[in-house]
Amino acid sequence: MSFDSDVIALLPVLRRYAHALTGDTAWADDLVQDAAERALSGWSSWRAHSNLRAWLFTILRNLYIDQLRKQRETMVAGDDSPWNYMAAAQEVDGLFLRDVQRALYCLPADQREVLLLVGLEEFTYEEASRILKIPLGTVMSRLSRARERMHALMHVDDPKERAKAALKVVRSTP
Amino acid sequence: MKDGPIYKDITSDESYRFALSALADDELPKADRAALLERLANDAEAVERLERYRAQNAALKAMFPVRPETVRRVFVPRRVPWYRRAGVAAGWLCCGLALGIAAGWLGPAFTTQPAFARNADMAYAVYASETRHAVEVEASDEKHLMSWLSKRLDRPLTAPSLQEYGYVLKGGRLLPDVSGPAAQFMYEDASGNRLTLYITAATRQAEAIQVLHKGNGQGTYYWVHKGMGYALSGRASKSNLQSMAIEICTALGGNPRLWQ
Repeated sequence: MSFDSDVIALLPVLRRYAHALTGDTAWADDLVQDAAERALSGWSSWRAHSNLRAWLFTILRNLYIDQLRKQRETMVAGDDSPWNYMAAAQEVDGLFLRDVQRALYCLPADQREVLLLVGLEEFTYEEASRILKIPLGTVMSRLSRARERMHALMHVDDPKERAKAALKVVRSTP
Repeated sequence: MKDGPIYKDITSDESYRFALSALADDELPKADRAALLERLANDAEAVERLERYRAQNAALKAMFPVRPETVRRVFVPRRVPWYRRAGVAAGWLCCGLALGIAAGWLGPAFTTQPAFARNADMAYAVYASETRHAVEVEASDEKHLMSWLSKRLDRPLTAPSLQEYGYVLKGGRLLPDVSGPAAQFMYEDASGNRLTLYITAATRQAEAIQVLHKGNGQGTYYWVHKGMGYALSGRASKSNLQSMAIEICTALGGNPRLWQ
C-alpha cells in the first residue's frame, strides 16, 4: 500500500522531469503513465533497490530512450522545437530563461538528460550514473560539456563565443 | 591544503572544468574542493564559469517547477500481493489522479452503444437468472468448452481468472449476434452472484472501455480490441465491476488506458 502511494506521490516530480526532457506535454504525460504502470506492476523487482525516486527515473528514462530510438528524433531545432511554443517561466529574467530553454533542446539528448538529472532534479553523480548506466567519470565529463555547450549556444551571436563553440564541436569528435 | 589536483588554464584544461562543474553540484572530495577553492581565488574567469553553471541550474528550476495539479489523470492498475488478495474484493483500484481536472471518471464519451454491448447486456439478463440452465457447457469440462467456443468464433478464447474477486468460472454458451456467433462465459461467486463475459467479432475500431448502465443495478462494461468486442456484465458494485473489466481487458491484451 505504502509503495503505491509513494509512487503516486512522486508522479508530479516524474512528470516535471519528463516534461523537461521531452519539451512536450503530451509525450511527458504518456511517459509518466507508462512509467507508473511499469513501476506498480513491477513493484516486486523494486525491493532490491533502496531509492524509489532513482528507480522511477530509471524506468522513465528507459522508456524515453526506447521511444526516442523509434522516433529517430533529430536534434536540430526546427520551427516545431519545444522552445518555440513553451511559455517561459516569468519569475527569473525572461530572456535568460528563454535562451536556456532554447539551448536545452539544442543539446544532444545524452547531455540534456544528465544536465536535467543533476541540475534540475539534484540527483548525485552516483545516482545519475546508475540511472543512466554510465560510469561516474562520464557523468562528470558529459555534465561539464553540457554546461559549456549550453553557454555557447546561448551566445551564438557573439563571434568570440561562436569560435569557442566551433572549437568544442571539433574536440568532441573522436 | 594542496592535496588536490593542480589545475591549469580553465579554457584549455578540461579536468579543471569538470572539477568546477562538480563544485557547483557539491560533488568534490574534500581535498579537491579545498584545492579548487584556493585556485579560484586567483581566477576570475573560472569564478565566472561557476556562476554561469549555477545560473543555469537556477534557470532550469525556474523553468520547470513541480506542479502537482498538472498531472493528468494517471491510470494506474494497482497490484495487490497474493496474500492480500483473498477476501479483498476491490483488489484492483483505478487510481485516477484527477488533480486539476475535476471531471468525472467517465467522460461525456459514449454516444452510440454497439449492438454487441446491448446484446451482451440482454444475454446477461436472460441467462444469469437461470438456475438450472445457466450454461450450456459446465466449467468442469473447461477444455471442451474453450475448444468448442474458440472453434466457433474462429480464434483462441480464454476466460481470465476472476478468482481474486471471488468469482469462479461456471461455464459458457454459444449465442447468436449480429456479426456471427458470440461466446458467453459465466462466472459465479460463493453467494450466487453472477457475471458474464461476452465475446464476439466487432467491426468497430479499437475502443476504450465504456459503460452501459441500467437503472436496475445491472451494468455492462464493454470495449473493442483487435476486431473483437468484449462485454462484462453483472450486478456487482460499479467500482468492482469496473476493476474486473480492466483486469479482463488487460489480461486479454487490450489497453484499458485508452479509457478516458
